[in-house]
Amino acid sequence: MLFLEHAPAFLFFTGKGGVGKTSLACATAVRLAEEGKRVLLVSTDPASNVGQVFGVTIGNSGKAIDEVPGLSALEIDPQAAAQAYRDRIVGPVRGVLPDAVVKGIEEQLSGACTTEIAAFDEFTALLTDRALLGGYDHIIFDTAPTGHTIRLLQLPGAWSGFLETGKGDASCLGPLAGLEKQRTQYHDAVQALSDPERTRLVLVARAQQSALGEAARTHSELAGIGLARQHLVVNGVLDENDIAGDPLAAAIFRRERSAVAAMPDELRDLPVDHVPLKAFNLVGVPALRALLSDQTLPSAVATVTRLPQAPDLASLVDDMAVESHGLIMLMGKGGVGKTTLAAAIAVELASRGHPVHLTTSDPAAHLSETLHGTIGNLEVSRIDPRAETERYRAHVLEVKGSKLDAQGRAMLEEDLRSPCTEEIAVFQAFSRIIRDAGKKFVVMDTAPTGHTLLLLDATGAYHREIARQMGTNGPHFTTPMMQLQNPARTKVLIVTLAETTPVLEAAGLQADLRRAGIEPWAWIVNNSLAFARPVSPLLKVRAANEVAQIDVVASVHARRWAVAPLQAEEPVGIERLRQLARHEQPIIEEGRHVRTM
Amino acid sequence: MVTIQVFDPALCCSTGVCSANVDQNLITFAADADWVARQGGRVERFNLAQQPLAFAENVAVKEFLERSGQEALPLVLVDGKVALAGRYPRRAELARWAGISVPIAQAAPSGECCSGGRCC
Repeated sequence: MLFLEHAPAFLFFTGKGGVGKTSLACATAVRLAEEGKRVLLVSTDPASNVGQVFGVTIGNSGKAIDEVPGLSALEIDPQAAAQAYRDRIVGPVRGVLPDAVVKGIEEQLSGACTTEIAAFDEFTALLTDRALLGGYDHIIFDTAPTGHTIRLLQLPGAWSGFLETGKGDASCLGPLAGLEKQRTQYHDAVQALSDPERTRLVLVARAQQSALGEAARTHSELAGIGLARQHLVVNGVLDENDIAGDPLAAAIFRRERSAVAAMPDELRDLPVDHVPLKAFNLVGVPALRALLSDQTLPSAVATVTRLPQAPDLASLVDDMAVESHGLIMLMGKGGVGKTTLAAAIAVELASRGHPVHLTTSDPAAHLSETLHGTIGNLEVSRIDPRAETERYRAHVLEVKGSKLDAQGRAMLEEDLRSPCTEEIAVFQAFSRIIRDAGKKFVVMDTAPTGHTLLLLDATGAYHREIARQMGTNGPHFTTPMMQLQNPARTKVLIVTLAETTPVLEAAGLQADLRRAGIEPWAWIVNNSLAFARPVSPLLKVRAANEVAQIDVVASVHARRWAVAPLQAEEPVGIERLRQLARHEQPIIEEGRHVRTM
Repeated sequence: MVTIQVFDPALCCSTGVCSANVDQNLITFAADADWVARQGGRVERFNLAQQPLAFAENVAVKEFLERSGQEALPLVLVDGKVALAGRYPRRAELARWAGISVPIAQAAPSGECCSGGRCC
């Protein structure tokens, strides 16, 4: 494996949730320790199963793993770090300033950006503490800071006039307010990150177009800051030998191979490793050893004898169609399949005779091109997220930036590179169409997070007060936020995959929405292998692993849910989208014919 | 020298996340404050989301918040005394507090709302 050779002191693994960063980081740690090095493994994985993987309890200071001499591990809980960060800022004024004020400040500091900054704060200690560094040859991290975070901390404007004198002008620096260490320490940390002699960045992706696209973007961002020494690992690749006559496996193999062949240009010059999809669970040291070598372990023998009783997408649409209009919003992390599912839902609703307006941010335009004009009452609008974001940025820069000095303008530009900006730009582009939700179904394939919605609704707290005072007798008025909070008008669907980290991330999105007073209406578990009826032994093992996560969704997180099976071919076109919405064959449970197409 | 202190509401990111529409008053005020500073005046700004302690430790500000809530910000103090609340001061007002004379031509704040024919 190229990414393991001549490893420098710091190794960072980066990639979307669920691609396998933690497994790879653990396997790397084991490999290096068994080569005689002293290794510290740092995990910020929300699923935080490093402890489970090694069978020990890990805390926030280095704990030796007995089974692997030379290896220690520690966990950083990003949510706890963010809370501690918030408390540093808000703590002194809790109980002193009015509660509404305190809550408002906390919300400002409750977004992803703040969590990123808080995590970076923790990383900085590990990257610059000489005493610590003296004790280890390698420190391995299973996540990496984003380009945005690093750039924010590099801006001179981030430091002068604010942290130094505390009397700067009111530009956005909220997330940086809780940083306590000396500026030089953060500077040193960023230096360490961009020094190829000391740091190697490993981009982890699956063999899928969206994952590789994401990796390419991350690569460019970080290379732009000077983190040039990067590797690519394509993880979980289905091997030809595992197809075993299964048409689904054959289709997956073909799709993965063409995704890798078509990988974005920015990635082509990187050293690449492929890690095959394994049939065994990545728990325990022997499994970790086998992950990065050609060793095989006895496969977990698993057959999904009883698929959990699961509703399909069509049955969810039955419930949605009870009202004759409304806003349907799909939310979820990038790459889970929101665009496709939105199209499937739109087709289902339109096929039942309802007027539907589908708004999509589909980057490839396949979906929208193939749907438009096909069903009489289905209208499709497509927006280009990148173009909208650029337009929004240019507008804000022009209006706000013209009066700022060079430093202020640099800060504003960086602010506008935050992920929230795209959320808002896209939402604004869609919002003209939202008005239609009073007369027809409007289906949106993406939406801002609860946090962003709260910040957008600056007068939300005020409106709540007014509404409370007026009770039910006052005149009826609605803010956009109130519309989103009203389940009769808006149904939010959370989309996830049947894997640990994606489910946890989706639960985080749900918590965020609840904070904004929006209760998600249903969850959709997408791309399920279990419901795609695999035949090959390898895929059956993977399918069996999904069941536990589907149970978690059904019993813990969702009040209503559905499962959409993995499709052999990309579901483009009406017929394929209808297939996505139904569990094709009869699900036989205990000899009873439960449901058929 | 007179100290003008402006206590701003919790302005979130300059990306305008707080509101889809950028507040022209804020921009105008930033320019006016800058002008005062260049004339030798002293204007300090405090943001509720970033320096909440500054609000908590100032009795006048704290009591104002309790009485009228954060929706009533911004609050302007001149030498520690409440001078204005609920809107940003105009350049002429800043000049008066800071004892700066304002040529008539400059007294009108830059109030063009629409640049390039687009509404803000």
